[in-house]
Amino acid sequence: MPFLVAGDPSLEKFKELCVAIEPFCDILEIGIPFSDPIADGPTIQEANVRAFKAGITTTRALEGIKDIRSKTEKPIIILTYYNILIQGAQTIEESLDKTFKNLKQNGVDGILIGDLPIEEADLALKVCEKYDICLIFLIAPSTTEERLEKILKSARGFLYLIAVMGITGARSRVAQITKDTIQRMKEKTEEILPIFVGFGISSPEHASTIINAGADGIIIGSAMVNIITKNLSDFVEMKSEMVKFVSSIKNAMMALQKHNSRS
Amino acid sequence: MNYYGKYPDKLGKFGEFGGMFAPEILMPALTELTEAFNKYGVDENFSKEFYQILKDYSGRPTPLYYAGRLSENIGCKVYLKREDLNHGGAHKINNVIGQALLAKKMGKTKLVAETGAGQHGFATAIAGAYFGMPTKVFMGQIDIKRQAYNVNRMKLLGAEVIPVKSGSRTLKDAVNEGLRYWISNVHNTHYLMGSVVGPHPYPLMVREFQRVIGRETKRQILELEKRLPTAIISCIGGGSNAIGISYDFIEDKEVHLIGVEAAGEGRNTDKHSIALGKGRKGVLHGAMQFLLQNEFGNIMETYSVSAGLDYPGVGPEHCFLKTIDRLKVSDATDKEALNAFKKLSLLEGIIPALESSHALAYLIRNKDKFRKEDIVIINLSGSGSKDLDIIKKYVKDTIK
Repeated sequence: MPFLVAGDPSLEKFKELCVAIEPFCDILEIGIPFSDPIADGPTIQEANVRAFKAGITTTRALEGIKDIRSKTEKPIIILTYYNILIQGAQTIEESLDKTFKNLKQNGVDGILIGDLPIEEADLALKVCEKYDICLIFLIAPSTTEERLEKILKSARGFLYLIAVMGITGARSRVAQITKDTIQRMKEKTEEILPIFVGFGISSPEHASTIINAGADGIIIGSAMVNIITKNLSDFVEMKSEMVKFVSSIKNAMMALQKHNSRS
Repeated sequence: MNYYGKYPDKLGKFGEFGGMFAPEILMPALTELTEAFNKYGVDENFSKEFYQILKDYSGRPTPLYYAGRLSENIGCKVYLKREDLNHGGAHKINNVIGQALLAKKMGKTKLVAETGAGQHGFATAIAGAYFGMPTKVFMGQIDIKRQAYNVNRMKLLGAEVIPVKSGSRTLKDAVNEGLRYWISNVHNTHYLMGSVVGPHPYPLMVREFQRVIGRETKRQILELEKRLPTAIISCIGGGSNAIGISYDFIEDKEVHLIGVEAAGEGRNTDKHSIALGKGRKGVLHGAMQFLLQNEFGNIMETYSVSAGLDYPGVGPEHCFLKTIDRLKVSDATDKEALNAFKKLSLLEGIIPALESSHALAYLIRNKDKFRKEDIVIINLSGSGSKDLDIIKKYVKDTIK
């Protein structure tokens, strides 16, 4: 499951990238930019800045998502921050209602809110239920069992496991804590929700290691955005490198599946 | 009025403001901090140790000074709560000593903080040196340039000043980076928030450490005047000095509580920091509050000549006190603040911080509203010696 920021490097190019990588992914994850993304590392922050410079707004991001929706059947998940969702009407409740109605109409299937822990999620849960959008929760190595239980009662879609104690950003290897956390969380969540692992995955080898440790899926964000950052002057190269990258991940996943079904 | 003991509630809410809108990865750390504060915040030995340090090290209690010549000039009795006489030159020390002491009890060994003007960073560096805790201070690259004096002071005290190059490269981005650092280092590091902002328990905790200002003020004014003041005026950026002096007067209905924000180049320009007066509800840095933001909820860049007031949000308790009509919110422009700065220097021989000058500017503008026998207390939250470079730049063309 790849992640791109809506409007990075521009709205048109972003849409083209999404369409190009679509065949190689199971779910598309799209970021709606926020000016102060505290849970994100420098790579994603930079992507946000580029998107703002290219004139992205929440309204335009949703128009882009609507276009992508018309070209794929696969689930579309958005990632953003709470403040983006509570605008547009007098009260927070009315604003949320308006926003989520809008999300649904533009073809969004699920949402992940970077600064909305379960403790603050009552209003969002209500409106997600009303419009049949999955509210996806993050869990971290530090999430206690007590809180995990609470989260499992409300979470839908899948659980997004933060692989490391840190912010988003590509890392060079998979830490032991990641493997341990996957195993610990898997025991608790089996048969309730699948676990997708994100934060720091940057190669097919990482992806295989994480799936072998028991995860149901992986999310790749910063490594995708890095390809954009590196190829800003050459869009053709950017697109082909990105397709090459996601297909290499996809192949690694397929090889694992074959291997697992044989054994 | 029945206020004490009710706010914040267990979830950190002041009415609909505040809360814990924090990334999942920080939640256990915030819970740990809340538990530690709930334990030590009511612990008599902790309080004793805290006040003893403030007394021996920072020189508390600070005087409540009757400003005779200023009073004559204004036309009512004006008292100044001299927080500028604290060690470090501002009220910030109350909070950093409290939080660092708590961090130590929690077994944390390192401190990390954000800073705008460098005042809170400097205060944190003081606490880091005092307690022997390595300290990192995140500071916007633009602020580093305009606050070289404070950067040098922090470095002298052994703190590491880390330039923030993201976003607007000022205070809000320093908070973002500080929190990001904390996210990756929660196991041994305490994030020392500089004001009554951020996720629960910070607004509560910082208020409690700053309440020493109001407790002293109440005792002092009753000794000196045998009655409560007519009004207490403070500047508000995040709002820690304002809540610190005001909190113990909230249930004293007859005392007017007035908060003055920075109107920068004018409240009708786009260069100001009037979050309480002109902001819309939103979530930033972990809390629901009034924010300066665009129609899509992206945070705007703010401005004030006083770096300590240059923040797009404001403490959740101030938002609540405003909505229940307990806090009167006003603002003062750069120009008014600079004039107030000069007036106090000339009349009283006291150089106020540009932040505190906003509170004084409100009084000067509204002096006709006060009668001769009225008592007005200004929270002189900091000293202006840090602002001399800025003053030099503005003094020629701005001050009459």
